[in-house]
Amino acid sequence: MHNSLTRIQNTFGFFTTVAFVVAALIAVTDFITPRTPSTGLISPTNVQVVKGRPHYYSSKKEEYAIIKFSLDADLSSLFTWNTKQLFVYVTAEWPGNKNDTNEAVIWDSIITNPSADHLQNIGPVAMKKLKRSAEGKTIDPSRGLLKLRNQKPKYQITHPSGKIAEKENVILKLHYNVQPWVGVLSWNQDQDIGPWKKLAGGVSEKFTLPALKNKNKGKDSQAKRKTPQN
Amino acid sequence: MPAQPSKLARDIFEAQIDFEGQKLVELIATFLLIVVGALSFIAGYILQDIKLSLYGGLGGTALTFLIVVPAWPFYNKNPVKWLPAGYAAELAANKGIQ
Repeated sequence: MHNSLTRIQNTFGFFTTVAFVVAALIAVTDFITPRTPSTGLISPTNVQVVKGRPHYYSSKKEEYAIIKFSLDADLSSLFTWNTKQLFVYVTAEWPGNKNDTNEAVIWDSIITNPSADHLQNIGPVAMKKLKRSAEGKTIDPSRGLLKLRNQKPKYQITHPSGKIAEKENVILKLHYNVQPWVGVLSWNQDQDIGPWKKLAGGVSEKFTLPALKNKNKGKDSQAKRKTPQN
Repeated sequence: MPAQPSKLARDIFEAQIDFEGQKLVELIATFLLIVVGALSFIAGYILQDIKLSLYGGLGGTALTFLIVVPAWPFYNKNPVKWLPAGYAAELAANKGIQ
């Protein structure tokens, strides 16, 4: 510490240690903060199956399910000082041929904590509105209260076989993914882990996809889609 | 003290401090950084504001640098007292006589 350069080096070196320890402490506060996510309602409201093409120039015709749904969820407890954003998504699941399960995302959304609003990929007007909605707040748990009515799906789903009409025992499932500023990435749980409770509800009643609607032929061919893995 | 301007510039840049000052500066740097880290964590947790932790920690660290890096006068209160030039030779010479 006899000259300025050694003092800069030593101070900076110890600063990195302190920063690391503080970051670790912040990550630990996640594990002692209770999480009690729940869903009040998750159900399909309007289901259609139409024929379409995977992309504009494809000659292959596939069946696509368009599942509108309603959702009530309380994910407010997931917003703490260390939450950067929450990724919420709804999947449709139905049994496959053997013991396999088909799973496809029909809708998703990124919900930022006010500390991460500037990262949201939206236009300047929407950004201003978003920032104003949380003015003076460091966290905003009310953003975790979801209330969707007859929500249009973001993704129309199909199956590698191209057949999806009249599938039975389909369920809708809510999933989430908590992305912290520092610490572990975590998903919705099927069981309680310490103060983190499992997602209460989150699964719809079983339903059957309707028969193919012939009239809408190719109408939706340019819309966004997701194909399940099996 | 410095005879040439280049030596003056070097002295300012190196900002050397005495031994007692080195002991003190080590203590101050360690203490301040720990206190800043602890305070920014506690304040951030209580107010549920992670940005406060981040900028509080960075600001406190900048302040620590300001206190620690320059050769403030209180780091040079105990300068090393050197023996006068030629003292050893004189001593040796005297010894020779005895």
